[in-house]
Amino acid sequence: MSTTAVETAVSLDNALSTAIGARKQSSVEVTDYDSRQTVGKITVDHPKMICREVNVYYGEKHAIKNVGLDIGTNEVIAFIGPSGCGKSTFLRCLNRMNDTIPICRVTGQIKLDDDDVYDKSIDVVQLRARVGMVFQKPNPFPKSIYENVAYGPRIHGMVNNKTELDELVRDSLERAGLIKEVEKRLDEPGTSLSGGQQQRLCIARAIAVNPEVILMDEPCSALDPIATAKIEELIDELRENYTIVIVTHSMQQAARVSQRTAYFHLGDLIEIGDTDQIFTNPRHKLTEDYITGRFG
Amino acid sequence: MNKLKPSAAPVAPGRDIKTIVNASLKRRHAAERRFRWYGLIAIGLGLIFVALMFTNIIGKGYPAFWQAYVQVPITFDPAVIDPQGNRDPKAIETADYAALVRAGMRQLFPAVQGRLELRALYGLISSDAAYELQRQVQQNPALIGASQEVWLLTSATVDTFVKGNIDRTLDETERLVKDNQIEWIDKLLAAGKIQKQFNTVLFGNGDSREPEQAGIRGALMGSFFTLVVTFLLSFPIGVATAVYLEEFAPKNRWTDLIEVNINNLAAVPSIVFGLLGLAVFINFFGLPRSAPLVGGLVLSLMTLPVIIIAGRAALTSVPPSIREAALGMGASKLQTVGHHVLPLAMPGMLTGSIIGMARALGESAPLLMIGMVAFIVDVPKSFMDPATVLPVQIYLWSDLPERAFVERTSAAIMVLLAFMILMNGLAIVLRKRFERRW
Amino acid sequence: MIKNKLALAATATIALASTAYAQSARDYISIVGSSTVYPFSTAVAEQFGKGSSFKTPKVESTGTGGGFKLFCGGVGVQHPDISNASRKIKSSEIETCAKNGIKEIVEVNVGFDGIVVASSKKNKPMPLTTKNLWLALAKEIPDPATGKLVANNAKTWKDIDATLPANKIEVLGPPPTSGTRDAFVELVMDHGCKEFDAIKELEKSDEKKAKAVCQTIREDGAFIEAGENDNLIVNKLVANPNALGLFGYSFLEENLDKIQGETIDGVAPAFESIADGKYPVARPLFFYVKKAHVGVIPGIKEYVAEFTSEKAMGDEGYLSAKGLIPLPAAKRKQVAADANSLKAMTP
Repeated sequence: MSTTAVETAVSLDNALSTAIGARKQSSVEVTDYDSRQTVGKITVDHPKMICREVNVYYGEKHAIKNVGLDIGTNEVIAFIGPSGCGKSTFLRCLNRMNDTIPICRVTGQIKLDDDDVYDKSIDVVQLRARVGMVFQKPNPFPKSIYENVAYGPRIHGMVNNKTELDELVRDSLERAGLIKEVEKRLDEPGTSLSGGQQQRLCIARAIAVNPEVILMDEPCSALDPIATAKIEELIDELRENYTIVIVTHSMQQAARVSQRTAYFHLGDLIEIGDTDQIFTNPRHKLTEDYITGRFG
Repeated sequence: MNKLKPSAAPVAPGRDIKTIVNASLKRRHAAERRFRWYGLIAIGLGLIFVALMFTNIIGKGYPAFWQAYVQVPITFDPAVIDPQGNRDPKAIETADYAALVRAGMRQLFPAVQGRLELRALYGLISSDAAYELQRQVQQNPALIGASQEVWLLTSATVDTFVKGNIDRTLDETERLVKDNQIEWIDKLLAAGKIQKQFNTVLFGNGDSREPEQAGIRGALMGSFFTLVVTFLLSFPIGVATAVYLEEFAPKNRWTDLIEVNINNLAAVPSIVFGLLGLAVFINFFGLPRSAPLVGGLVLSLMTLPVIIIAGRAALTSVPPSIREAALGMGASKLQTVGHHVLPLAMPGMLTGSIIGMARALGESAPLLMIGMVAFIVDVPKSFMDPATVLPVQIYLWSDLPERAFVERTSAAIMVLLAFMILMNGLAIVLRKRFERRW
Repeated sequence: MIKNKLALAATATIALASTAYAQSARDYISIVGSSTVYPFSTAVAEQFGKGSSFKTPKVESTGTGGGFKLFCGGVGVQHPDISNASRKIKSSEIETCAKNGIKEIVEVNVGFDGIVVASSKKNKPMPLTTKNLWLALAKEIPDPATGKLVANNAKTWKDIDATLPANKIEVLGPPPTSGTRDAFVELVMDHGCKEFDAIKELEKSDEKKAKAVCQTIREDGAFIEAGENDNLIVNKLVANPNALGLFGYSFLEENLDKIQGETIDGVAPAFESIADGKYPVARPLFFYVKKAHVGVIPGIKEYVAEFTSEKAMGDEGYLSAKGLIPLPAAKRKQVAADANSLKAMTP
C-alpha cells in the first residue's frame, strides 16, 4: 500500500465533491429508473464468498431479489443504499444471522470458500466462528473487558491454558487498537468504556476467534467523528488479514474504507464495482441519484 | 421534502402563536395540577389504610410478646416425685407435679380455704406449670428434695388481666377474673411476684388450646418446610419453562395455547389448586394428608405460573443485542442463553420468584383441602410430619373463643407480615443490586 | 428437555415418597370435622398428648359435612379415624361409609352447644320468642288478616310485636355453610313458623312448600351474613348496639363484659338452662369413631376414654371451662360406657 487510508479517503472525498458538483455533466449508461439489472462486474479473481441468486423473504415480503455478487479475499466491500434497501438483510445472510428470525426464508446459493453456507451439513456455530460480526450499536457483554474478548476462544476451545488465553486477549485488543487504553483495566466491565472504545472492543472480540470474514453492520452510526475515524483506520489495517464486509449509511465512509462498493435499492443490487468508479462515475441513474444526494 | 417552503401557519388573523398558546396555558397547567392532586389523594388513602391496619394489628398484637409469670415457692417433695427413692425415670415422668404447684399456691396464700376458693386460686396458674416442673426435674434430678422459687406461667385470664385487658370495675359476673382472684393478683403484683417476661412460649411452642401455652413455632416450621418444597420445585421448573418458551419454542398455535393456559393458571383461585392437590397427590399418589410435602407441591402449582410469567418478562427485557452478540460469536443457542441471557434475566426471575413465594407464604385456602388446616401440637421435624402453616394458624386462632387468643392472633399476623416484608425487601434489594441498564 | 427431566424427577420423588409413606403406618390419630367441635376436640387431643405416651392427635377443622366425606373415604392409614360433627350423621353418609367398607361406626354424644341471640350490653335486653324471630327473619310470612303468604316487610321489632322496642331489625349470623346456621334454622325458624295456623294448613297440603317457607331467610338486609368467624360477629355487635348476633354459647361466655344473651321463650342462655334442656336453641355435639381403625392406629381407645372421662366432659371438666355444655349425669354415664365398649351404631 503506497497511500495511507486517510490519504485515500481525502482523494476520494475530492472525487465525490467533484461528482456532486458536476452532476449536470454525468453520462450514466442506464437512465431508466425501472431497470433492476445489476450493473457492473459481480465477480472477482480471488473470491472469499460467492453469492448467487439470493432471495430473502420475510413472510410475504420479498426483501432481497435475486442478488448475486462475489466478495474478494482480503478486500473491504461496502454495501450502501437508502434505508430499507436490504443491505443489512443481505449482510445477515452471510453468517446466517437471519436464522434467528422465524419468518425469514433464504433461497439461492452463498458459498464461503467451497462450503455452501446454507447447506445442511454446515453448522451455524462453525459458520459464525468463521464469519464474525460487528453490530450497529456497540454490544459488549455486561462482563469484564477481558471476559468479552476471551469469550469466543473459550466457547470454541481455542486455547489450552490461561497463559495462552491471556496472550490471545492481549493480541486481539492490540490488533483492535484498544490495548493502550484498557491495559490497566481489563477487569472493568466492558460497558464502562466509551462508545467508540466499546465498538473497538466488539471488533477485538470478533477477531479473537480469528475469523476469515468480518461483517460490520453500520459499525460507526452510533459514534462521534473521532471514534469513527479510529474505527475506519482500524478497518483499513484489518484488511491485511481479513475479508471485511461493511454496511454503511455514510457514502464518505464507504468511499474512505472500501475497495469495492455495492449499491442496493429496494431489495435489488443495482450497481457494483470498484469504489472509485462507483463514486466518480456511476453507471446507473439510481446510483448517481443516491451518491449525489438526490434522495436517501 | 426539500420542496417545503416556509409559509404562514393557518392562524386566525391578528393572533400570533404566542397568544394562542398563552390562552390555553392556564388550562393545561390546571389540568396537570389537578392530576397531581388526584395522585396524591390516591396514595394518601392507600397509606392511611396501611397505617390503620398496622396500628390496629400492632396495637393488639404487641402485648402478646410479653407473658405474665408468677413466682411460686415449690418444694420438690421426694414423697410426691419419687416415692421409691430410686430415681426411676418412669416414676419421675408420671409423678403428680400438679400437686406440687397446688402446694406452692397454698403456701403463697395460706388463708385460702374451701374447695371453690382453692379452685379459683389454682386457676391463676397455667396447666402447663406441672409440665414445666416435670421438665425441670427430668433435666436436673438433683432438684428432688430441694425448695425453690420457680417462675411459672400464669393462666391466660391472669395474663389478660395483668395486661389491663379486663375491666375490673365491671360486675363480677361479667368478667372472667373473679373478685377474690383480683385480690390475689394485686397482692402478688405488689410483692413483685407477678412479672411480665418476654414470651418465649410464643416462639418456642407448637399450637395449644391454652392461649398462654400456644406458640407459632409449629406453624413457622410448617411454613418453612412447605416453602422449601415449593421453591425447590417451582423455581427450576418455572425457570426452565420460561427459558424454553421464550428462547427455544417455535411460535405456533401450540405454544400460544400453552401461553394462554399459563396466564389463565395464574388467575385461577387458589382453592382450585387445593382440590387438584387432593385429587392427585393425596388420592392418586397416596401421599399423607397435612404433610408439608403435599402443601409444597400444591403451592408450587400455584407459584409456577407466577414464576414463569415473571421469568418470561425478565427474559424479554434482556436486549436482543446481547443475544446477537453471542450468536454472532458463534455461541450455540444454549450457550447464548446459559452464558448471557439467563444471568442477565436472573435478578428479574428471582424477584418474580420471591414475590410468588411471598404469595405462597400467605396462602391458606388451598391447604384446607389437603388437611393443613389442623390443630397440631408437635412441631414438625420433616417434610412428612403433619403440619400447619402461619396463615392457617392465624385463621384457626382468630376463630377461637378465648379472649387471650386475640392478641396472639395479631402477634402471629405481625410475624407473618415481618416475613412478607423481609421477602419483598429481598426482592427489591436483588433488583437494585443486579439491575443493569443499557 | 430440561423441563421433561425435571418433571420426571419430580414424579419420581413423589412416587418414592408415597411408597415410603405407605410402608410406614401412621402413629398418631387423625381427626377431622366440625369447626364447632374443634375447640373441644383439640383440648382433649392436647391433654391426651400430654398425659399419655401417645402422640398428640391431629385435628382438622373441615366442617361437619367435609369431615364425613373424608371419614367415609375408606379404611386405611390415609383416611381419618374420627370425625367430629355438630349434628347427627345422615343416613346418606352412613351409606357412603358402608359402600367404602366402613361398616362399624361408634357414635359418641359429647354434650351440647347452645346457640345464642346476643346484643351489645349498651342495648336493653329484648325478650324474644321463636315466633318473633321467625317473623323477623322469614322471607314470607302469612298475612295476619287473610293468612295468605306475603313478603316480609317488617322494618323494626315493634312492627312484629308492639311490646318490643322500635329498633331496626338487624341480625348478624353465619352463612348457610355453617353448622350454627343449620341449627338455628332447625331449632328457631322451624319452630317459630309452626305457631301459625296458615303454615300448619300448608304443611298438610304441600309439605315441601311449607318447609321452604319456614326455612327461607329474608335477603333484604335484615339478616346479614357476617362470615364464619364468631369473634367477628361479637366485635360487630359492640360496634352496632342495635344489631343482634347469632353464635355459639362459648363466645357469649368469653365476652360477658361486652355482650348479653337475649332470652328466648323466656329462658336466658346460661350454662344451667342449656344443660337441663330448658333453653330451646341447643344442639347435641358428636364425634364418630371408625371401629376398624381401633387397634391399628395407636391410642384411639385411650382418646375416646379421655374425651368421655368425667375430668373432660363432666360437669366441672375442662371442656365445660371451654364452653361445652355437659350432658345430664345419667346420659353421660351411659355414653361413656357405650363409647368405651366401642358399641357400634345399629344401622
